[in-house]
Amino acid sequence: MKEKILQIFKDANGDFVSGESLSKALNCSRTAIWKHIEELREEGYTFEAVRRSGYRLISSPDIPSQVEVQTGLQAKELGREIHYFGAIDSTQHKAHELAKGGAPHGTVIIADQQAGGKGRMGRPWHSPAGTGIWMSILLRPELPLYRCPQLTLLAAVAVVQAIRETTGVRAEIKWPNDILVEQKKLCGILTELNAETDQINYLIIGIGMNVNTEDFPSELRDIATSLRIQVGTPVKRIPLIQRILENLEKLYKLYIEYGFSPIKSLWEAHANTIGKRVVLRQLHGSLEGLAIGINEEGTLLVRKDNGEIEKVYSADIENASSPST
Amino acid sequence: MLKIHELREIIRLIDQSSIQEFELENEGSKVTIRKPGHSTVQVVEQPASVQVVQTAPAAPITEQPVVQEKKEEVAPQPVVTAQVQAQEEEQLHKIVSPMVGTFYSKPEPGAPTYVQPGDKINANTIVCIVEAMKLFNEIEAEVSGEIVKVLVQDGQLVEYGQPLFLVKP
Repeated sequence: MKEKILQIFKDANGDFVSGESLSKALNCSRTAIWKHIEELREEGYTFEAVRRSGYRLISSPDIPSQVEVQTGLQAKELGREIHYFGAIDSTQHKAHELAKGGAPHGTVIIADQQAGGKGRMGRPWHSPAGTGIWMSILLRPELPLYRCPQLTLLAAVAVVQAIRETTGVRAEIKWPNDILVEQKKLCGILTELNAETDQINYLIIGIGMNVNTEDFPSELRDIATSLRIQVGTPVKRIPLIQRILENLEKLYKLYIEYGFSPIKSLWEAHANTIGKRVVLRQLHGSLEGLAIGINEEGTLLVRKDNGEIEKVYSADIENASSPST
Repeated sequence: MLKIHELREIIRLIDQSSIQEFELENEGSKVTIRKPGHSTVQVVEQPASVQVVQTAPAAPITEQPVVQEKKEEVAPQPVVTAQVQAQEEEQLHKIVSPMVGTFYSKPEPGAPTYVQPGDKINANTIVCIVEAMKLFNEIEAEVSGEIVKVLVQDGQLVEYGQPLFLVKP
């Protein structure tokens, strides 16, 4: 009901909406309408109320609800269905649940706060209320399974471009798809696939981005950053989410039509891993060498000191400390 | 039916991999790819077994003929057992990796493994994760039965089509 009222005000585009037309459109009493408007005010929306004219929406808070994200969104498929939650255990869990229930390609799950946000290897992801973008995007790609890992590099390009376009922050990609500023983590992307031998059921891209975090717990302070820390002022989440969805849709179409090559070039243009000495930490031990590039699969190529080239499919990567310092 | 580009892709991947033999059944059609090296391996095994048969009677050659006869009866047994074992292995279902990546036997370090030998599974049981480039693929058994053997180590790089588990259907 609240969403429907909000949608009517968004459609009115700043004009007055009478209480009578609201109650007619929604088939409820004017008292009920007034209660919902009071609730919206508590969430941070401001209305002007004028006798005989009705209400006019003056400003909206930066809450990435379904109505807010869909208003002005320039994407056809991604975000056509949005599920917003004030608080949730994990948008990723919810996305799996909705996917299994048949939610369509392009469904987006957004939360203001996550209690159980997760990163790689089940590591907890700090995701408090109002400060970040905690979002999962459901795709149903018609691709052979072995190509799906490339979508994680594609997602990183979509996000890093969106950050630059909306805030000017020059974020970089660490292979395969961590997004960093000045070597500190700004955004993590975790993708999960559900497939059978010959068919992909669905794929979920989970994005966790620190947007308005002013300070981090001490154990994260040296390794994490936020857009607010980088820019110095609060950053609006809604336009950033919209741009991520728009870029993702655009790049996905490009990828389906032309394959990985154009994505690879864009990825390389934003990458900070290539040409650096890196330490790769894997489940059993670690390996050091020079990251020389990615191949047509998206695999990282590392030249070891004995000259052998290792194809890396998964690892935690750190820049090796330079021997001269 | 497999599309021609899918078939071409399968052949390319098998060709590049260390896989010797590959079978795929899909909606009524069946594809079998066998590299020439595979049959050679089998041929090599057989003379090896024959040698065992021959050496057994060779040593007790001075003994009584009755014993020697017995030996000859006993000797072929390992060959039969080996064949039975091979047949049994062949009858076991193999869960294979659908992509190149890192094999994880558990959802996160410290957690219990998804499955272990002796576990009863059904088609939807998650048996492991294969990850590449931070894409996590939860592998479902797609067959029901009992896990007989885990063929790979936690954290190991696995190839496309590499067997990961043996399952007794």
